[in-house]
This record gives sequence, C-alpha cells and structure tokens, in this order.
Amino acid sequence: MSEAEVTIPPTDPGVHLNSARTRSVLRVQQQLLGAAREYLREAGFTELLPPVIGPVTDPGARGAKQVDIDFYGHRYKLMTSAILYKQASLLAFDKIFCIAPNVRLEPLETAHTSRHLAEFHQLDVEVAGASREEVMELLERLVVHMVNRTVTGLPGELERLGRDPDAFRPLSTGPFRRVTHAEAVRELRDLGHGQSPDAELDWEGEAILSAKSDRPFLVTDYPKGSRGFYDREDPAAPGVLRNFDLIAPQGYGELCSGSERTNDYAEIVTRMRETGENPRKYRWYLDLVREGLPGSAGFGIGVERLTRYVAGLDAVWQASAYPKLPGVVSP
Amino acid sequence: MSDITAPGFPEEEVRRRARLGAAAAFPPPGEYGQVLYGGGRVPAGSGAPDALDALRLVPPVFMPGRLARLVELGHEPTYRDVDLEVTVGGFHSALPLYLSALGSTRAAGDRGLGLALSRQAGVMGVPLVIGENVTSVHGYGRGGDAPGDSSVLARLVAYAETAPEGRGGVVVQQSTEDADAEVWNLAYSDPAAQPLLDSGRLAFELKAGQGAKPGLGGMTVLPEAAAERMREHFVVDPLFEGRRVLRSGSPGTLTEEILRQQIRLMRNNYPRARVWVKLPPGRDVADAARLAVAAGADAVTVDGAEGGTGWAPEVFLGQVGLPLAECLRRLGGPLPGLLVSGGMWEGGRAVKCLALGATAVGLGRAALLAVAEDPRQGLARLVECLALEMRLLISALGKYRPDVLGPEDLWSPSVPPSNRLDSSR
Repeated sequence: MSEAEVTIPPTDPGVHLNSARTRSVLRVQQQLLGAAREYLREAGFTELLPPVIGPVTDPGARGAKQVDIDFYGHRYKLMTSAILYKQASLLAFDKIFCIAPNVRLEPLETAHTSRHLAEFHQLDVEVAGASREEVMELLERLVVHMVNRTVTGLPGELERLGRDPDAFRPLSTGPFRRVTHAEAVRELRDLGHGQSPDAELDWEGEAILSAKSDRPFLVTDYPKGSRGFYDREDPAAPGVLRNFDLIAPQGYGELCSGSERTNDYAEIVTRMRETGENPRKYRWYLDLVREGLPGSAGFGIGVERLTRYVAGLDAVWQASAYPKLPGVVSP
Repeated sequence: MSDITAPGFPEEEVRRRARLGAAAAFPPPGEYGQVLYGGGRVPAGSGAPDALDALRLVPPVFMPGRLARLVELGHEPTYRDVDLEVTVGGFHSALPLYLSALGSTRAAGDRGLGLALSRQAGVMGVPLVIGENVTSVHGYGRGGDAPGDSSVLARLVAYAETAPEGRGGVVVQQSTEDADAEVWNLAYSDPAAQPLLDSGRLAFELKAGQGAKPGLGGMTVLPEAAAERMREHFVVDPLFEGRRVLRSGSPGTLTEEILRQQIRLMRNNYPRARVWVKLPPGRDVADAARLAVAAGADAVTVDGAEGGTGWAPEVFLGQVGLPLAECLRRLGGPLPGLLVSGGMWEGGRAVKCLALGATAVGLGRAALLAVAEDPRQGLARLVECLALEMRLLISALGKYRPDVLGPEDLWSPSVPPSNRLDSSR
C-alpha cells in the first residue's frame, strides 16, 4: 500500500453503498463475525448487548476526545470502549463477549493513518479468573478460526477483492510469535527508529514491525503510562503491565489490545490517579469494585481493522458501511 | 481603565509601565539635570523586600565575556547586543518570559482581559499558559458551549492569529477536576489548534499546585445560582453574604509514582504536544522538579509563595509555602526547563531568578494589571520595559545571553560569604 493508494471515502454515501467492492467487504465482515459468534458460543461464552452511553467511559484511548451527551441534565459519555461494562458483566456470567460500537474523536492527524475511524466496532471478550496467557491463547485460536472460516467460506469474495488466500497460509503454522514491548523497542531502535521506551509503539514503529512479518504476532508487557488504569501491573515487574497487542502482518498494524485486569480497589484508585483521572467520576464502577468484581482477562478486536486485514483493503474506512474518518464530516 | 487592584503588589509602577513602556525604566525625564539620584534610593513600588529583592546584582570589573562579545562584533558591545531569545519549555521565545495561567478568576474572564492578554502575548511571541478551570468556568468554546470571549478556544485562536511564525506557544493547563472536562483531548483534536500543533507550539501543563495556596485546589467566588451546576464536580460552600459561595477544586493527590506516570501518559497520549508541569512551592519542590524533568517534562514551572492572581484564604497568603528564593535555593542551580513565577514585574527580580538557575520567568498579576490599564498595548509596553531592563542588567554583568548568568552575578547581604551559593558554575 503506497501513499498514493491511500483513499478517502466518497462524499456521497450512495456511491460507497452501491459499490460491488463494498458489498464484498461487508460480506467478509459478516462472515468473520458469524465465525466469532460460532466459536465463542461453542466455548461457553454468553453474548451481551453493550450499553452505548454511561456516566463514564474508557479513558485509555490515546489523545482521543470523548463525546459528551446531555442525559437529563447530567453529562454522559458515548462509549469509547466497553471495558468497564465488560468487567461488571462478569457478575452475571463468567465468559462474555459483545460486539460493541465505540466512538472516539481521534486526533486529526490519524485521518491519514489508514487505520483510524472516529466510529468503529470492537469484538470484546472477557473471561473471569483467566490469566493473560490463557486469553492470548484464546485470541490466537479465535482469530485463526475467524480467518479460516472466511478464507474457506468466501473464496469468491476474496478473489473479487484481489486478496490472495495464500497470504493466510502462515497463520495456522503454530502459536503466534510473542515479543515484549522492550524487545520491540530494541528492534525498532536497531532499525534506526527512535521509539520511546516509555510509550506505546508509535504508528510508524508499529507499521515497520508489521511490514516485516508474514503472520500476526503479539507484543506484550507495555510500560505503565501507556495504557488505561485497568491493565494489571505485573507484581513481579513493577512498571510493566500484564497486557498485549495483536499486530497483523504485511503492514496492516494493530488488530487487538488486551490484558489481565486489576480488580483491587486501592490499586485501581491509585492507577486512576497515575493516569490523570479523577476517581470521583467513576463512582458506580468503583462501588462495584469495592463490593468485589472477579479478576479477569480479556481483549477487544477492532472489527473494521480485522476486516481490512482479511479483505486486503487499503484503508479501514472501506470496512465500514458508514465510515467516519477523524475530522471528516460525514453521514 | 479597569477597576482591578492588587494590594501588596507594585500596582502603580506596573500601570505606569503599561502606559509609558521602556521610558518607565527611568525616572521622569523632566527630572534630568535637576534631581540628584544615587545609591540608597528605595526602588519604586517595592514593599517589604523578600529574599530575592534583597539580593543585589553585582557586575564585575574584569569581563572576559565582554571581550569575547567584542571580538565577535568588532565593536564595543552595549546593552543592545544582549540576545534575549531563549527556548522556554520547548518553544522559541523572544525573551526569557512567559505568561502564567490566570485561570478562571473573574478578573481574567468576565472582563475580557484574558482574551486581550492572549492577543498581546501572541504578537510578542511570548509563551502563554491558559489556566485550569477556564474550561469548567468559561467553557471550551466548541459544540454546545457558548463561544464566549473567555473560553479556551477564543484565547487559543486569538494567540494563534497574532503570533509570528515559529515564535511562542500556547500551554493548556489541566488539573484534577478538568480531567472530567478532558481539556487536553479536546484541544488535541480541535481543528483550531492544528496550526499550533503542526508548528510544535502547543503544550499541555499538568497543574500540581500553585503558589498562593499550596496544598489546595483552585478557588473561586460565585453567585449561588451559577455554582449550582458545579456541585457535581466541586465543593461548594455557602460562606459569603449576598448569595455568593466559595467553589473549591480538589488539589489532586500526587505521589512520586503518580507524578511520573502522569507525565509519561501525557507524552504517550499527546506525542506532538510539549509537556509542562506546574509545581506549588512545597518543601520537596526540588525532588518533584527533578522527577518531572527525568520523566520527560519539557518545562517545570515553580510558583513561589508570592504568586497568584486569584482568590486564596488569607492565612495561606501570609503563612503557607516557600518563598521563591527558597525554592530556587533548594533547587540548587540550573535545571533544564526550569521556569519560575512569583511577584515578577521588572527586570531585576527576573534576572536574579535567571542567575539562580531559571530559564525564564512568568508574569501573572503584572500582566493582568497591564492589560487592565490598556487592553491593546499595556502588556506589550510592560514587556518592552522589562526587556530593556534585562538587557541593561545582563550587559552590565558582562554577559550577552540569559543562559550564561550564574550565582556569581549575585550578592546577598544577609548570607556570610562561606554559605553563599556555589559560584563554581
């Protein structure tokens, strides 16, 4: 994907919806979601319908603005992710998933990354009592299942999209490679990219690593200060979080973030302060934590991003029927 | 002219500078040839001198630095040859100066002075801090907010429109309560902020405290009705007559780890913005400042107990917090990106702070009084006078750049020579 191929959505939504290419992409997306539902139900998960609004939402989106709404005189938020509700839902079921709409008013420069949308969906999974390693294995199996079902189920659509099914051959050749954040930083610095050791992999760095790989891989152990308060800090390695990202190969970049969650009240309040948050606004959530939420681990897969990878699209907006790019006013 | 006053501050002198500009650095010219000036004159406007005011700047007789400048220029250097341009918290500034946050106080907001200040600061290319609580009190200025003249957006746009290319910068402050209003996220994704972001002239300041009331959060006095909508986020105390209430913000809890991680989070979330941290004059201010720099802050602002433009309990004004001179002593010399404020208005105090390790000094009350005196030119004239004094003083010390000043340029009448600041620098 060269810069020249980076496209923007047509201003007329009818042009996008009428395109045969869009139809193929949306069928691929449906196939992926169908496969996920099939796999997760089989594994004993319950699908929940996630809330769209609430008094607070996930503050962990880097640099993105939340959307405020007036809820009968109270300031409510549109969900930037389902994380707080995912944890709370474990009071009802031990294994849950949902396909959650998220709204994040991303910084304007992300309009040109080919991988950011202001409105997108996440396949969210959370498992009570699970460790990070257990959910990483679950994620691997789930992604392989979703991709294989699509490659075998919709060969015609992939062909129409010009996606070579051989691109997914390396996917099933064993567990995904795992590198720690510190190793990824070293690798990037060796390649001459000035990645900060205290921050998320920046988009350029992530693209470099993604382009070098022919199969998805996991980056683990991000430093504290790069993620939300809910990622558990490794008790054996202070300053390191028990979390992970799944990065797609061939330059498609990050597909999924996940972690083991902290469920200790004092730790959560302290971490909220470390992430610059005011605990007062998280009252309903903190009350639940104080009464006792189960420890858990989980992840969220970007549905449009996974669709982009599987369909081999230039930009993530092509995987949405009603794409909203950061800063671009659209229906 | 505005009805703002500043008891205990050399208000009349500041207003005179806002009217006369650089001429106010001297006695009235009409007195030339008639009045005999000399040592012992109490500087105009100074009340009880604090430890900084008590210091004297002491030019040497022998000046190798001047010789170097002479060689460079090919003629004898004068005060005009002092280059005041410095980097202030990651921004190129025309002089070692920035404008401190004036917050949400009625003085800065309702009277439109905040906006006048933004424009004048922009024209001069001097960095400007937009205070915490401006969003919660005056709104951000986008979406459902009424885009009042006092909003963050109005101030930001006013600055960006007037600033010369590549000079200055805007610093948007956020404190614990503002986290709810997400000021930084709002500014970072705002099309109006893009010209500043694209040119590297936007910073975010984490407000960890303030000089006038260290240990407390922001405080404002509001009509009861206006405070009603704030009850959800602030403490509202019905203390005053006339249906007016005290609205208090929480100061926010910090530990070493919380401060370190908050700075890292800022760097992670806003990679294109500079990171500033404002510290109160606490007893561990030196530890906090060093930690902030180590965690990646581009600037650490230390607000001495003399600082403040707003509302504070009198017991705090009189008896709480370290004076700026003591903060500087505890900091023990230069720290990259160290900025200080507290009672700044003229060149002497400013140059002393630079000699004690600061990169730049912040104007608070003086800036507000200057724009109150003349909303169009007052601040520019005050700064013109301050810049002239800085040039005069720095050149007199045989130096021609602010960053080569050092403790050797100061003499303290109260400290025995053996206890003076290390002058080996």
